[in-house]
Amino acid sequence: MGLDDPVLLAVNEEEGLPSAAKKNAETAINSVEDEFGAKDYRSQMNLKTDHASRPLWVAPDGHIFLESYSPVYRHAHDFMIAIAEPVCRPTHLHEYKLTAYSLYAAVSVGLETNDIIEYLKRLSKTSIPDGIIEFITVCTLSYGKVKLVLKHNRYFIESQHPDILQKLLKDPVIGSCRLKRLEDTDALITEEQKIEKSHFPGDTSKDKEDHLNDVVPKDITDLYEKIDKVEEEEEEKTQNLVSFEVQQEKIEIIQKRCIEIDTPLLVEYDFKNDKVNKDINIDLKPQATLRPYQEKSLRKMFGNSRARSGIIVLPCGAGKSLVGVTACCTVRKRALVLCNSAVSVEQWKYQFKMWSTADDSLVCRFTSDVKDKLMGCGVFITTYSMITHTQKRSWEAEQTMKWIQEQEWGIMVLDEVHTIPAKMFRRVLTLVQSHCKLGLTATLLREDDKIADLNFLIGPKLYEANWLELQQRGYIAKVQCSEVWCPMAPEFYREYLATRTCKKMLFFVMNPNKFRACQFLIRYHEQRGDKTIVFSDNVFALKEYALKLSKPYIYGPTSQAERIQILQNFKLNPKVNTIFVSKVADTSFDLPDANVLIQISSHGGSRRQEAQRLGRILRAKKTAIAEEYNAFFYTLVSQDTMEMSYSRKRQRFLIDQGYSYKVVTKLAGMDEDPELFYSSREDQGLLLSKVLAANDTDADEERMPYEGTSKSYKKMSGKMSSMSGADDAVYAEFRRNSGVKHPLFKKFRK
Amino acid sequence: MSKEPSTSKEKRKNLRKDDGSKILKVLTLYEYLIKLPEAVQDRLYSHPPTCLTVFRVLPDITQQFTLRILFIEQPVPQSVLSSWVPANYSRELDESIEVATNLHIWKLTSVSGGLKGWILNSTFKKKLKVALMGGGRSTVPNSDMTADPKARDIDFLDSYAYERWECILHYMVGSKHEGISSDAVRVLLNAGLMVRDTDDSPVITSTGFQFLLLDMATQVWYFMLRYMETVESRGLDLAQCLTFLFQIHLGTLGWDYITDEMSENLQAFLQHLREFGLVYQRKRKAGRFYPTRLVIEMGQGNSRTSERMKNKERYIVVETNFRIYAMTDSDLKVALVALFTHMLYRFPNMSAGILTRDSVRTALRSGITAAQIVRFLTVHTHPQMQECGMPQTVIDQIYLWENERNRLTYTDGVLYSNINTPNDYETIKNYAADIGALVWCDERRRNIVVSTDGHDDVRKFWKKQPKSDPF
Repeated sequence: MGLDDPVLLAVNEEEGLPSAAKKNAETAINSVEDEFGAKDYRSQMNLKTDHASRPLWVAPDGHIFLESYSPVYRHAHDFMIAIAEPVCRPTHLHEYKLTAYSLYAAVSVGLETNDIIEYLKRLSKTSIPDGIIEFITVCTLSYGKVKLVLKHNRYFIESQHPDILQKLLKDPVIGSCRLKRLEDTDALITEEQKIEKSHFPGDTSKDKEDHLNDVVPKDITDLYEKIDKVEEEEEEKTQNLVSFEVQQEKIEIIQKRCIEIDTPLLVEYDFKNDKVNKDINIDLKPQATLRPYQEKSLRKMFGNSRARSGIIVLPCGAGKSLVGVTACCTVRKRALVLCNSAVSVEQWKYQFKMWSTADDSLVCRFTSDVKDKLMGCGVFITTYSMITHTQKRSWEAEQTMKWIQEQEWGIMVLDEVHTIPAKMFRRVLTLVQSHCKLGLTATLLREDDKIADLNFLIGPKLYEANWLELQQRGYIAKVQCSEVWCPMAPEFYREYLATRTCKKMLFFVMNPNKFRACQFLIRYHEQRGDKTIVFSDNVFALKEYALKLSKPYIYGPTSQAERIQILQNFKLNPKVNTIFVSKVADTSFDLPDANVLIQISSHGGSRRQEAQRLGRILRAKKTAIAEEYNAFFYTLVSQDTMEMSYSRKRQRFLIDQGYSYKVVTKLAGMDEDPELFYSSREDQGLLLSKVLAANDTDADEERMPYEGTSKSYKKMSGKMSSMSGADDAVYAEFRRNSGVKHPLFKKFRK
Repeated sequence: MSKEPSTSKEKRKNLRKDDGSKILKVLTLYEYLIKLPEAVQDRLYSHPPTCLTVFRVLPDITQQFTLRILFIEQPVPQSVLSSWVPANYSRELDESIEVATNLHIWKLTSVSGGLKGWILNSTFKKKLKVALMGGGRSTVPNSDMTADPKARDIDFLDSYAYERWECILHYMVGSKHEGISSDAVRVLLNAGLMVRDTDDSPVITSTGFQFLLLDMATQVWYFMLRYMETVESRGLDLAQCLTFLFQIHLGTLGWDYITDEMSENLQAFLQHLREFGLVYQRKRKAGRFYPTRLVIEMGQGNSRTSERMKNKERYIVVETNFRIYAMTDSDLKVALVALFTHMLYRFPNMSAGILTRDSVRTALRSGITAAQIVRFLTVHTHPQMQECGMPQTVIDQIYLWENERNRLTYTDGVLYSNINTPNDYETIKNYAADIGALVWCDERRRNIVVSTDGHDDVRKFWKKQPKSDPF
């Protein structure tokens, strides 16, 4: 959806972030550079003698490199995922980055400062720079020590550390929010808590730990076992907890204040002891089995028999919905599922019926077209825009909204959470009360890096899967990515160069050579019996292509009924093997059978869109084990135009996940194919005149009006580069050292 | 009357290869030998080890036929020889005959009846028999009967040799290590790997860059070939040096050989080899020397280097996201990778960088080719990458970056402008097109560019034309 445009985003406030989170390990270091312009850390660390058996290099700027072929990779990988953000994870060496958010997430899943530092020390090939130790300490010491717990519908602030609670109480703002039931007691409530291991349905973990290799240094295995236990919690353990009760209506103020004084509240939901909200009758069906990574992500969420709020990142097609459904079945309280289109509302309902015992009466939909009866509702599925709608609603919708606001939801599942602007999200949170929030997404990535907001609005990232690993194990399809270079037809290129308005882009999208490449690929894959989706952000091109090739197409104005009809035909009708779609289909159109994707025009350099689109064909294919690749992703690019550089930028994210793009400069057999259109100069001329006749608005990408939020659009002037995501830190990195010359080249004179 | 169209000469500078850099070409032994004068070749063949070395580089068919006629005293008629090969392979036969004749090891003589027949070069024949069957003097300098009291093992020899060789490379890249002898510098200058700068200190050339990216065995071979060009000016005898080089090339790693019977010239040559790291000698007067891996594997692309050394040489990890990791603590190796990589991080035993368009173009501009970069990366890939090898996409991209520089082609030409009438324009254009001299034309402005070669013809033709009247 187009809402992540930086220009359309509400200007974000810095206030919602803890000060530690604004720190950046990178800026703190004044680094030495070697003769090639690289950051030289050799003087700041000592190589250990047994470095070969340890897998990490830790740079003082927070970047960490991990050998994926190390014997302790598995241990190190779990640990790194918990404490750092993955930067890139190709085949051999993975790069991670320590950030304040990632450490926050680490603390919230139960790791402690000393454990993190100690384990990092043991895994590293070298000594750990002091700056890093300090950074970890600063970021973790005060995090995650205090929890906001909703018990028996009363809010408590709870901690294992009485001193921190005392500190909080001394704070005037928080002190005033305290709720004292008995006037005279100032003492904290102390209780012994029995921690039992939680089991979510379908959990098959246990006793699978294999014996470790001899090459693993003993200190690593020792500590790993310890940390593993921290994550999974011992079976029976008693803990001393202290807490005080706070006033419900002042929660918002408390949360904000706690963030300001660097002790953010973790939100946990003790759903087992919640006797006020009654359980709903929902369970996973026995045939629903969780894959190891789904299990792992859920274990992070339900680590200590309570539900933590947070975000789970899984590639598209890797079964995010099942994770959502399982989470709902574990909590067994009223669940609210929010997604971003009416089509995905249908798909979520289908998922619930497939994986859980919920029947029609339990699952309610609420969209502009369908409003199910609220009677006996346990799982309520709607879209973000329905909830945040500000204009006048129908009476029926008004009543439903009222009902939603009155409920105390057990769990709120937020689908495609990265697509919603922070402002809209805050609105959802003020309207709806829920005990815990689960964000689901494939790409925790925005061109504007506003993703950080989500960390504190929903919770930390609980888990992020490795794309390449899932692909190797066959959980998602093996995709062959290609970038097809289409030479610009001379006449089109001339017009492209001469045009100054945004109509410029029409010339490279409508490039007849691109059309022919597209037609060639469609025909090739239809002969193979593949199902092809063609993406075009540009509506003019979408229609032209689709009509010329007589294929069905879906775009913004297409009605809900027609969309479903086209999708059904695409799924079931052997005669409909190719459909054209605009960016409405970027997210959450579930098209399980599609295995070929052709992209003819795209939204500038958006890395996220590229990843989302790839996701449309990632669902593991049934056939296919035999073939090397079972899905194909083509990007058609007109040579020598802006598209080339856009395409580079778009690929960045996927390349960092280990995907590689094959550049095809010539499609074999295309020139010989007599049935392709626009082979003659005359035909191309006709096409050109058609493009010339088009007006400037045709060149625009499709606007995706979010029902009801149109007021939040702001017109801002911005550079083309920032709109397309070119203002990206990755690129700054390259530019930084462009002045540095290899010492040899300095000497070398021609 | 119309004026004669004005012609303006356009001399375009050739921008393509602005530095006039050459692509480094490493001659094979065969290519080197055929360049030698026949007299030198003949003298080489009087030593059995050289004959064996030469025999080894021959194509299979030539080897086979050489063995067949080795023991035949009469010439073998041409027709007989061709009957050994099916008719449809006559091209291969011709090629193999060409190799043999270029090396002057086969000679054509007349047999009875005016026919021609093949016979082996008599020296070559005699000495090859010796080499193959033993006898005569030993093929290598005598291995001493008494063991060296201070014997060196292979690991020691390896690290000695690599250290010496890296000294030369270090000198080329100008890193702070100790200098090398004037002999080595002379070879480098003579080979065009370095040139004297204005202040007389040698600096690396574009050929030098390409040299650095070769694998070590090829480097040694190339270096020795260029060294051989300088031996005569050093007062040494080329054939003698070559013979000795081939002798120790066939030596056994880890064995020691005595220097007693060597002439003074050869002793001097040995000291050069010692300096380059091709042989090890404890002391100048030790009386024995050890050939090292450098000389034994000289010129062999895929060497049988020991596992330990091999792993040291295979230190580069290339990722699909264009990241390059150099798993080494050697400044030299990092410097080599940095030739075409944008370096990001330097850890004690690892350096990380990324291949960017800019970094690769910088390398290309200094005369390194895409193929050389790819070959360098492939030769040095880390053992972990063995399964999947170099990512194909990265290889493709490096070549694409190179091709990108060659998209414009430059043609010299002469511009005909100010042509008065469309008729004149057509006439000139048609004529130029007919003689194949038309480079470019623009009808609207009536401009024509013809090639420099065709310019004279077009001009003469135009002068002869009756001038058309525009009115």
